[in-house]
Amino acid sequence: MSNIIEARALTKSYGSLKALAGVDLTIPTGAISGLIGPNGAGKTTALKALIGLCDVEGELSVAGMDPRTARHKLMEDVCFIADVSILPKWFKVSQLIDYVEGVHPKFDRIKTEEFLSATDIPANKRIKELSKGMVTQLHLALVMAIDVKLLVLDEPTLGLDIIYRKEFYDRLLNDYYDGDRTIVISTHQVEEIEALLTHLNFINNGEIALSAMMTDLADIYTEVVVDPEQIAQADALNPIHIRELLGKKSYTFESVPKAQLQPLGEIYTPSVADLFVAKMKDSRHE
Amino acid sequence: MKKIIFKNRYTLLVAVLITYITVLVIEGFITGRQAQFLDFENPFFDLNIKDIEAFRE
Amino acid sequence: MNKFHLLQFHALLQREILEHRNMFIMAPAILAGLILLFSVWAMTRMGQDTVSISIEYMALLFDGLSPLEMAPIFMIPAIPFIGIFYFCAIIYLMNSLYQDRQELSILFWQSMPVSNLNTVLSKLVTIGMVAPLFYIATMFALYVIALFWLAILGWSYDIEVAGLGYMFLAAVASLIFVYLSIVTTALWLLPTIGWVVLFSAFAKRTPILWAIGVFILVGFLEEFIFGTQFLGNFVQSRSTPTQYLILDFQDIVERLINYDMLFGILVGSILLAGAVYMRRFID
Repeated sequence: MSNIIEARALTKSYGSLKALAGVDLTIPTGAISGLIGPNGAGKTTALKALIGLCDVEGELSVAGMDPRTARHKLMEDVCFIADVSILPKWFKVSQLIDYVEGVHPKFDRIKTEEFLSATDIPANKRIKELSKGMVTQLHLALVMAIDVKLLVLDEPTLGLDIIYRKEFYDRLLNDYYDGDRTIVISTHQVEEIEALLTHLNFINNGEIALSAMMTDLADIYTEVVVDPEQIAQADALNPIHIRELLGKKSYTFESVPKAQLQPLGEIYTPSVADLFVAKMKDSRHE
Repeated sequence: MKKIIFKNRYTLLVAVLITYITVLVIEGFITGRQAQFLDFENPFFDLNIKDIEAFRE
Repeated sequence: MNKFHLLQFHALLQREILEHRNMFIMAPAILAGLILLFSVWAMTRMGQDTVSISIEYMALLFDGLSPLEMAPIFMIPAIPFIGIFYFCAIIYLMNSLYQDRQELSILFWQSMPVSNLNTVLSKLVTIGMVAPLFYIATMFALYVIALFWLAILGWSYDIEVAGLGYMFLAAVASLIFVYLSIVTTALWLLPTIGWVVLFSAFAKRTPILWAIGVFILVGFLEEFIFGTQFLGNFVQSRSTPTQYLILDFQDIVERLINYDMLFGILVGSILLAGAVYMRRFID
């Protein structure tokens, strides 16, 4: 299977609010794919749809299954961590591990206990007594011990302090990712994850605004600090975004050959964060 | 048909209830169960029942 | 059904008991404690003579008699336990598929490879077969304590206390009937249970209002369309916990397996199947 996720025309409305307005998403196996978007863009809805936690219209295939009808079978190969603490508050840590061991065929208890031994989490405390950072550590410890094909993370480090955040991504990359496993991660803190992504997707107003491999970004997008005399030529090439940068104007171009842009001024590849702003403002203009 | 029943929670509920009542009513007729069980002496209630029957005619 | 499925189901049952330990473990324990306290207080009020005569009477009454025949007497002390159990059972069923959607934990439960069918089944087996065992165990402990206490008291009054042993056996036999009654009543009430669980799965808010409101509406519609009240009739026959008491083993097979029981299981299953499919719509 070359694409672990294939989604076409996903639509979901809550009353008159369109959370997803025709989302197309293709995620290849082994990718670390980011889903970036502002609050309310549809990130959480899209991710929940992938795991069958949200009923959507459209074509959807995850690991060869339709999450809407085969959720429980799919969950043997997929794991999910949300931005909020979803672990049941009344469970003791040891009881939660017992539960996952009982219900999940691919769970290795010893691995979880190994991961937990490096933390301060006591086995007989209830989840509600743990700090937010510890709960995420625990959830990650459970997930690391499950041999899954796909990991779906919905803003997993939201509200955590920097130590927990760094440790989270370290574990993810070092202990979990092996090139065959796929990670889909949503966040609005782009800078934190842009270094580890292989693929990038922007979502806004329930639609995908960008979908590309990180290595292609430099070929497609160019940012130019335009010399004042070249402004007119720059305008003629249809920039997708213009911003002020230290008194000068910085233009962002999509799919314009670098040869055409070089005479206009200093060129460089936009950071993901700047590209995000450019594309968001871009779709708002349309 | 499946698409209609599983469109949302409301359509599913209606489908389940229709099935349930149909089975109950058919079984009731077949096995000759007692069809009525409420015998109210409240004159206002009798009035309402009469209204319904008149409406049906 | 293979070993993994059994293990998974066991983990699901464990979760239910742990999650509701207040209802299944604390509640009967507190009730037993209150009964003991009340008994101690009553005995101090009764005075030594009355107490010793009562113990002597109990020992004589049960002496030499078959525990199975004398068991029904002990349904009376079981009444408060059964009452509390059914009250908790209603709350449990109403919340069974509703509460986890109100909290965020539904996102965790649904991220585990547990089918909706197994989720619903585990909750039914918990309330119909497993939870009652905790109540039975508490009553058993209560009867053991009562036996020792009365025996020691009786011995100190120089009463022949062997009969108390027969009384204890009758009490223990009654526990078998209590358990059997609860399980068969649960099966008998399956249509009602199914209705409650269906709305537990369906409602976004106040499932009990939906369950009652739709019942009234559907009953009205049935009357209007068919001119019948089969629904009302049927529900009336499937509404109280005392409708299926098992107090002896006479004709036990026909009493457990008959047309009405099977028909109830069939229609209850329709509603429960609806609840299982309804789990698709959790947002």
